[in-house]
Amino acid sequence: MNENVLEVINLETIFKRDQQEIKILRGVNFSIQRGEVLGLVGESGSGKSITSLSIMKLFHGTSGEIKNGSISFHGTDLTKLDEASMRQLRGKKISMIFQEPMTSLNPVLKIGKQLTESIEMHMKLTRKQSTAHAIKTLKSVGIGRAEELMNEYPHQLSGGMRQRVMIAMAMACEPELLIADEPTTALDVTIQAQILELMKQLKEKNDTAILLITHDLGVVAEMCDRVVVMYAGQVVEEADVFELFANPKHPYTKGLINSVPKIGDRKEVLDSIPGNVPSPQNMPQGCKFAPRCSNAMEKCHEHEPEIETITESHFCSCWLYASKEVALHAK
Amino acid sequence: MQNKLLQVKNLKKQFQVAGGMFEKKEFVNAVIDVSFEIKEGTTFSLVGESGCGKSTTGRLITRLIDPTSGSITLNGNEVGYLKQSELGDLRETVQMIFQDPYASLNPRMKVKEIIEEPLIIHTKLSKGERENLVLEMLNIVGLNTEYANRYAHEFSGGQRQRIGIARALITKPKLIIADEPVSALDVSIQSQILNLLKKLQQEYQLSYLFISHDLSVVEHISNEIGVMYLGSIVEIATKEALFVNPLHPYTKALIASVPVADPLLRRKKETLKGDIPNPKNPPTGCTFHTRCPIAQELCKLEVPKMRQITEQQSVACHFVEKIEEV
Repeated sequence: MNENVLEVINLETIFKRDQQEIKILRGVNFSIQRGEVLGLVGESGSGKSITSLSIMKLFHGTSGEIKNGSISFHGTDLTKLDEASMRQLRGKKISMIFQEPMTSLNPVLKIGKQLTESIEMHMKLTRKQSTAHAIKTLKSVGIGRAEELMNEYPHQLSGGMRQRVMIAMAMACEPELLIADEPTTALDVTIQAQILELMKQLKEKNDTAILLITHDLGVVAEMCDRVVVMYAGQVVEEADVFELFANPKHPYTKGLINSVPKIGDRKEVLDSIPGNVPSPQNMPQGCKFAPRCSNAMEKCHEHEPEIETITESHFCSCWLYASKEVALHAK
Repeated sequence: MQNKLLQVKNLKKQFQVAGGMFEKKEFVNAVIDVSFEIKEGTTFSLVGESGCGKSTTGRLITRLIDPTSGSITLNGNEVGYLKQSELGDLRETVQMIFQDPYASLNPRMKVKEIIEEPLIIHTKLSKGERENLVLEMLNIVGLNTEYANRYAHEFSGGQRQRIGIARALITKPKLIIADEPVSALDVSIQSQILNLLKKLQQEYQLSYLFISHDLSVVEHISNEIGVMYLGSIVEIATKEALFVNPLHPYTKALIASVPVADPLLRRKKETLKGDIPNPKNPPTGCTFHTRCPIAQELCKLEVPKMRQITEQQSVACHFVEKIEEV
């Protein structure tokens, strides 16, 4: 059971602008096991989505590029694969669900066509067989009138139905890794609850590993086994989900958890984190969170903290928990 | 007893969605029957899912669109049917904060011009007086006064929302309609803005009509809450009553659907089945009956009336008393 499906090691992704390299990911590390849901949380601009695009190598039409590090999928380093080999993997071994079901389905193709396309390609089935498989998959995501739906266009469906179709597409070839980038953010709460329930069921059934990218701590608490917190292109904390909510270590994680208004909590003033996420062109020296951190010390502004082991399964990069001292510049 | 600042009664808005001179006209009822009151210095929230008519209600009250029927009374005066030329006072008393801080600020105007504009329209202040007020307002919403000469694109989402709030406050309004003011913001920024809105309410005795889909945000900011479904309010209650003892099956489902940021409270959910019906073709009777776990024959036939159950809580459901038994 302890088999890592995916291992991301020291991943650095850059984008080029005006001959300049802008570092978006500055050394990201995490791994996902079979049947595990790993949550990737952080605010906009923390690099969550770029991490998922890096794993899929979906940089077409952008200046993005993986500069350093490795992404090992069952021992194969994805960063070394060419486009043709990536195509063999995408949709078959690794698939992805995007945030906007509206924009990620092709508006001029019928649902059936979009579904069978990848099934025909990856599973080497005849058209008739792949149609049958597509209908079966649609039924498995709770769509009752699957046969009719095959002949409809995306605009004829509601948001929740579109997201079900997206999930059906992603699950059709029974991938080993599913990357879900804010899969329910665009949906209403009652529909969100349906989709999250569905993802849980599918995971149980196929033992799929899920990388769930979200900014919603409620969704994280509901779905994930383990959580990775990102800030400014780095992992600042990683822990088991129960441990993370009961005993957050990094001041950023604490700030995030306390900023969320909770039902039943009669707090007059909400905690908030002052300031904004720094822009990648303008990264502070030292710890990237230091300018917003209420615990910041002198050394935080000068040196970047290393990742420290809090317990066997809890890691945090913050000077508060540093095991070794660092010499400060004499002022 | 606080004064009633705004009273909305049986408000209805119908949009024409098809048809012309020779074609058959088709209508959609965005708001079917909405009644509520907002007392001075308090926050009333409208919650519901997309398409339930909460934003349309907000836009009707600011008279950005005209009501089909029903009444809107502000400080005792009917404002629902004022002519365009008579809207000056209303626009001064009722201001709006929008959802998208990226789309609601003019990219060609400097921050000080954006905030100053309502003063040019509504007051006869001199340029110098206006500028002083703008700088004061920047301070109040927590922005550096040095930012006055910058353009909106130079700011982050949270800062832009502060600019939007400054623009809304500068005419010294009584009522602010905030349409999803924090849903485009990250949580750490969201709480900054919610705290600011609360602070301003206390300092200036503002009333808010807060429109949101996010129940935890609504619980934090509201005094009273109206839950909307397909154009009608299905339950109105004080915050305490609504979250402790929700009565309408839809309210219950809505509250149960919110993911709780605590893994210890994780539970298998009774999710609502099915989708929100198309408002163009709403179900007969109680519009919620297609998804309601306790729906009976009667629900398909008859629209339930709003009934007051306790002093704090009214609900439109035929079987509210029987819910516990079913």
